Amino acid sequence: MTTTAESSLHELLTALGERQIAVGEVRGVAATDPVNLPMIHHWTDAMGDANPVYTDEDFARGSVHGEIVAPPAMIQVWTMPGLARAKGAASPMDDVLGALDENGFTGVVATNCEQTHHRYLRLGETLVPATRMTGMSGPKTTALGVGYFVTWVVTWYSGDEPVAEMMFRVLKFRPREKKSEPEARAPFPLRPAVNKDTAFFWDGVREGELRIQKCGDCGELRHPPGPVCPSCRSVNRTHIVAAGTGEVYSFVVHHNPPVPGIETPFAVAVIELPEGVRIVGNVVGCPLEKVGIGMQLRVTYREMDDELVLPMWVPRES
Amino acid sequence: MRTLTEKDIESGTTLPPLRVDLSPTLVISTALATMDFTPVHHDVERARAQGSKDIFLNILTTMGLVERYVTDWAGPEALIRGINVRLGVPAYAGDAIVFSGTVVSREGAEVTVEVRGTVSLGDHATGTVRFCLPG
Amino acid sequence: MYSLSGRTAVAGIGATEFSKASGRTELQLAAEAVFAALDDAGLSPSEVDGLVTYTQDSNQEISVAREVGIGDLSFFSRVHYGGGAACGTVMHAAMAVATGAASTVVCYRAFNERSGRRFGQPDAGLGGEPSSQGMEMSWHVPYGLMTPAAWVAMFAQRYMHTYGASSEDFGRVAVAMRRHAATNPAAWFHGRPITLEQHQASKWIVEPLHLLDCCQESDGAVALVVTSAERARDLRRSPAIVSAAAQGSGAGQMMMTSFYRDDMSGLPEMGVVGRGLWEMSGLAPKDMQAAIIYDHFTPFVLSQLEELGFCGRGEAKDFIANGGIEIDGHLPVNPHGGQLGEAYIHGMNGIAEAVRQIRGTSVNQVGTVHNVLVTAGTGVPTSGLILSQD
Repeated sequence: MTTTAESSLHELLTALGERQIAVGEVRGVAATDPVNLPMIHHWTDAMGDANPVYTDEDFARGSVHGEIVAPPAMIQVWTMPGLARAKGAASPMDDVLGALDENGFTGVVATNCEQTHHRYLRLGETLVPATRMTGMSGPKTTALGVGYFVTWVVTWYSGDEPVAEMMFRVLKFRPREKKSEPEARAPFPLRPAVNKDTAFFWDGVREGELRIQKCGDCGELRHPPGPVCPSCRSVNRTHIVAAGTGEVYSFVVHHNPPVPGIETPFAVAVIELPEGVRIVGNVVGCPLEKVGIGMQLRVTYREMDDELVLPMWVPRES
Repeated sequence: MRTLTEKDIESGTTLPPLRVDLSPTLVISTALATMDFTPVHHDVERARAQGSKDIFLNILTTMGLVERYVTDWAGPEALIRGINVRLGVPAYAGDAIVFSGTVVSREGAEVTVEVRGTVSLGDHATGTVRFCLPG
Repeated sequence: MYSLSGRTAVAGIGATEFSKASGRTELQLAAEAVFAALDDAGLSPSEVDGLVTYTQDSNQEISVAREVGIGDLSFFSRVHYGGGAACGTVMHAAMAVATGAASTVVCYRAFNERSGRRFGQPDAGLGGEPSSQGMEMSWHVPYGLMTPAAWVAMFAQRYMHTYGASSEDFGRVAVAMRRHAATNPAAWFHGRPITLEQHQASKWIVEPLHLLDCCQESDGAVALVVTSAERARDLRRSPAIVSAAAQGSGAGQMMMTSFYRDDMSGLPEMGVVGRGLWEMSGLAPKDMQAAIIYDHFTPFVLSQLEELGFCGRGEAKDFIANGGIEIDGHLPVNPHGGQLGEAYIHGMNGIAEAVRQIRGTSVNQVGTVHNVLVTAGTGVPTSGLILSQD
């Protein structure tokens, strides 16, 4: 993301995103069918969900609900377009997702889905969805490739009453080149050794998580990790995901001799995490003379080649 | 079929694990039951053409299974208030998903459970479910 | 309790010339140094029954024994952790002699560190080794933190921050070492002193370290003969008695990258060595007339003076600025010019200088030296010695 073309594309996409966020909530097409027992039954069968409040009239009548209710997680099902795919009302997401597609960010993967249910739905209610875009950030380097995170919120109305909301976030990314293609990147020469004791960390980095080993028994956090808890001898290892922030505890700027795979000069820091452990990493995304002890950082992830992703640190304000 | 009460739940309570085998039938029937006809959830050829190794679970089903995992344990009258899921590796047909969960807070009747759904490739879904106990 | 103190002595020292390209194999260098040390002691190869070297040395004990004509060996061992092994070789030899496992042990270190494998060059394979050390390195190498200068610089930066030390404070160590080397004909930098301005103007290696904060790279070999104090008294040279020998590793220790323990402004492993030396010898810092302080990089000279109790925490910069480590100073340090000035033979040339100071035969003799303290490689598990006049 260093060329002029890339930065003007970034401006264009950001402007489009901001415009669509300003549009606010846009109502969609009402559900084809009201909340109904056959679709609920079909859903509970497929899910293996035996909860009788969804399907057993007698049980439901005697329950807190007093009647049959729909499974909350079914909320989105009611307004799915179905196979006929009738072209509905425009969504504020269409332009943004379309522009990302056109600029090569054709890959898509959902990263978050958060539902809030204000109340249970009864049979016969007809829902109308309304969508508003709430955010776009990027470009970010992820394990899948460079991309933008796009977030929107759908609110479902029964009449004028909002009954549920869903925040949805996707990553639109430029798919990586296939390894077999001639442009395949040369492998980054500075590879870590990975074994059973450390694989969780490198797996986490590939998924965009900075993982810290946590003893499954006494709870002690530890980095670098190891097979046995030095506090309680436990081999029951778990991990937490760090908040992803940190502070420079010490640092160096490497000038000589040349290092394979990295352009000199570059900065390396010992970073103290709020979780109480230290980790070593490169400080990037700022002039080297800005790096200093006490500097506040946040983690980001950089794809070094087709296999290796490394955590990197950037100034927190950026 | 009893719904748990405040006495049954405290922070740190762990849920019994639940294993769901992801047969092609399950992947396809849940996709259709959630009205999701995207080919990668029912057409192996199309899924492979897109670089996936098989058909895989759709997100609406992930949300449904997470909800089911919690209400199977909490009981039929637990009132679901929120389901927050962070999506990880795909859950492919032929694999199995194992859910585990821990109560991370209970304030009065409101309970938050941390849920993790793991497949052979790693975490498919991690997140929290909020619910209220009736009464 | 049985003590090692006073039971053994260094009875002979030998070395090759120190160069940038020896033009011969490391095994030949080893053999030449061993011959020189045995000749110095007045012993023949057949009287040697033990050999000790570094795990990093490329010359097997049996190879050296074959070249030199040493026959039966009843003791051989190696000490790990790079230059941290230096004084450890003498400790192992002394323990073998004191317990009767061997009667005469030769310690040696031989390498073509400039013309052959250079430790200062990045080695991309460091992080890939499936060993516990490879796993340690894997937390650093992928970020390009992979040279000794860089590892030391990380500590130096924190030390500067904690104690308000400056690059000039490190530079004064380099200037002193080069001044000492300037009058030592065996030193690579014989006749070539430097100024603090030259130090400041030298190129960055890894900030905050300039080129002149880093020791040189050398080809060469040094050997030492260790035998019982009793036997040493009957040999050609006056013995350098081993008053104390110690190894040390600290909590949370790593190879050069102990960044994860509470404090990064000290060298706890050298603290372990120091406590061991003072306890075993019954001596104190004030009893030392000279010290050989391992100087692969200037900042750790400051930390060592503090860990060993020659000055308080954070006070080394003042100790040095006031001329404390000069030949006529409070504590003459590295009269031979150290590894910054004489040669980088992984600390073994410093032990040889300590023996010369005890004998009173150094070209830069600091007066009568009753006791001299010697340290080994820093940032790694390390070792130390106190050698004394009989």
